[in-house]
Amino acid sequence: MMLAQWALSMGAVELTQMQWYLLVGTAIAVIGLVRMLLTRDLLARLIALNVTGIGSLMIILALAARTAESGDATGGTEAAGSGIDPVLSALVITGLVITVAFTGLGAVLIRRIEGAQDAERAHTLDDVHDPERSGDAGDRE
Amino acid sequence: MTAPMSLTLFCLAAVVLLPLLASALSVLLGTAARRVMGVITSVTVLGLVTPILIQVTSGQTLELALGGFESPLGITLRADGLSALFLAMTAIVGAVVSCYAAARPAATGKRLVPAAEQRRRSHPADAGIGAEATAHREARSVVHADPSPVWRAGHAGFWPLWLGCWSGLNAVFVSGDLFNTYVGLELVGLTAVALVALGGRDAWPAALRYLFIAVLGSLLFLIGVALIYSVTGTLDIIASGEVIAELAASHDADLAAVVLALCLISLGLALKVALVPLHRWLIPAHSSAPSAVSPLLSALVIKAALFVLLRVWLWVAGPLPELVILAWVLAGMGAVAILVGSVMALRQSRLKPLIAYSTVAQAGYWFLLLPLLLDPETTALEGQTGTTLEDGAVLAGALGGTVALALGHGLAKASLFLAAGHLKDLYGTDEIDELRGAGRAHPMLVMSMGLSAVGLIGLPLSLGFTGKWLLATSAVAAGHYWILVVLVAGTLFSAAYLLKAVAPLLVMSEDDQTALTLPQAQTHPDDRALTGKAQLAPFVLGLLTVLTGFLGAWLTGVLEVGAPW
Repeated sequence: MMLAQWALSMGAVELTQMQWYLLVGTAIAVIGLVRMLLTRDLLARLIALNVTGIGSLMIILALAARTAESGDATGGTEAAGSGIDPVLSALVITGLVITVAFTGLGAVLIRRIEGAQDAERAHTLDDVHDPERSGDAGDRE
Repeated sequence: MTAPMSLTLFCLAAVVLLPLLASALSVLLGTAARRVMGVITSVTVLGLVTPILIQVTSGQTLELALGGFESPLGITLRADGLSALFLAMTAIVGAVVSCYAAARPAATGKRLVPAAEQRRRSHPADAGIGAEATAHREARSVVHADPSPVWRAGHAGFWPLWLGCWSGLNAVFVSGDLFNTYVGLELVGLTAVALVALGGRDAWPAALRYLFIAVLGSLLFLIGVALIYSVTGTLDIIASGEVIAELAASHDADLAAVVLALCLISLGLALKVALVPLHRWLIPAHSSAPSAVSPLLSALVIKAALFVLLRVWLWVAGPLPELVILAWVLAGMGAVAILVGSVMALRQSRLKPLIAYSTVAQAGYWFLLLPLLLDPETTALEGQTGTTLEDGAVLAGALGGTVALALGHGLAKASLFLAAGHLKDLYGTDEIDELRGAGRAHPMLVMSMGLSAVGLIGLPLSLGFTGKWLLATSAVAAGHYWILVVLVAGTLFSAAYLLKAVAPLLVMSEDDQTALTLPQAQTHPDDRALTGKAQLAPFVLGLLTVLTGFLGAWLTGVLEVGAPW
């Protein structure tokens, strides 16, 4: 919300709708990227990557609207009236499908990693004097 | 002529669709049937690639619009010299590694099985005994209560994932437009992450890290592709290249979007190739992956990103003077990669991380040609009548050298990683100190490591030598002498770290005071899977590394087919 207000206050610089969306998309992507690089929590990183993905798809949608508007795209001529370029929309849809795929894969991996860590921790609590496990019990955190 | 042509076009579609189909079908099959299917598919793909290579060598660029739909909405497959060479390397490495994985199912990963099943199968009939001892030991450290599940060697999930990955690789190589390139890259990335995750509990964090990097790289690439489309109005690689060249010719055109797109695409692909300083993810991912997976990752998966990078820089962007800074930055990162990767490789005490760092170092070579592409003096030299240079000779030499280096690296690194993984499975460790003298017990493995070291260092006869030679001559022709310095330094460094890796394995007890104490081989003496024919796989690849060195001239000839100059 803060960002939106700031961007609106910047509206004095006469941004077109597409440029506005481009800016917001870039901002979302960058925010997600920064969070992904800075956090160590695995789930937070996965969600941050999702945010980055959404931001970049938004950039592409803004580009799609812009291309359709200028009307110079070969695929965009018929769809110029509806204001969106079909080829770039196809790109975004594929991007969404892949986002779902990688989020699922990431979620499975995170669950396994943390499940293994939990099992390990439970065991170390069970018998503290097991020499084999004491070494790698706290390798994260 | 029409009949063989249509047959080759069929092959062009089949190299992508057949592995994909086999991947989907293998999910339905049992473990043993998957192995058979994997080997059959890999041999078939090898057979399908051959006519493509022959046709392209004869000077024809193959092009096929799937289902008769033309671009922009149809899918166009196109195979030129660059595609055919990468297809062939992938088919050879893929087929050999598939045979290895079929001969040694234990090398395909680790899986958790319920303890009840484990007790019932206390004398397993399949060949997974090899790494079982390792698996047992690790199993104890994870869970020691009896009813809990235990780790066992071998993961049948390898086959659908690897075949899917192969399909993605081939899709990247024959894709005629940037969008299918993106889809192929994504398929390769996701299956590669899952392949790393087959390595068991230790490999999961590395796989997750790889997932983040691979997806981030793809997103950057996607934005770049969208930018290129918004400028050129087409996703077709050749057509967009033509539009950009036209724009560049008219002086008032604004190319900022193209430059931004190239920055994003290069950054995204550099992440996937693990160019220093973006290389950190590669070490844990490649070294903790199962023995049959690391060669695939190092030899093939990062080559897909490299292939796209070459495509975009040479075919789409063309020599735009605005890109000079970016080219120098990437080449500088490449030079630093050779240095940092080599030094880090020298500091490793374990075999697989050392080889992974060597991949980081070798990746640096593939970026050195970029400033050559954009140097306006290069083309000026070619135009002068006094020089003996033909039109595009410098570019052809630089590209030929880089491709030879990449292909040679693919063969050599696959062999090296296979041999190292095999030793690790044999002795349960890949500490170089503990493996001293392993050459006496396993001469063929260490021999293949030696052959691939020859290829990676770039000693004469190997493909690596051909690549360095071509790159060096075109660098001298264009007056870029700094490339020579980098090449020489890289050669010396790679000799140092590969000697460090291979020499201790060759120690004989007679010429060394200290007694050889190889760790107890963690295998039954009668386990044929670890001592038998599987050892041939790294040897064949090592031999190919050296033999393909003769193909240097042929290689530059093939690259001329469909070249952008």
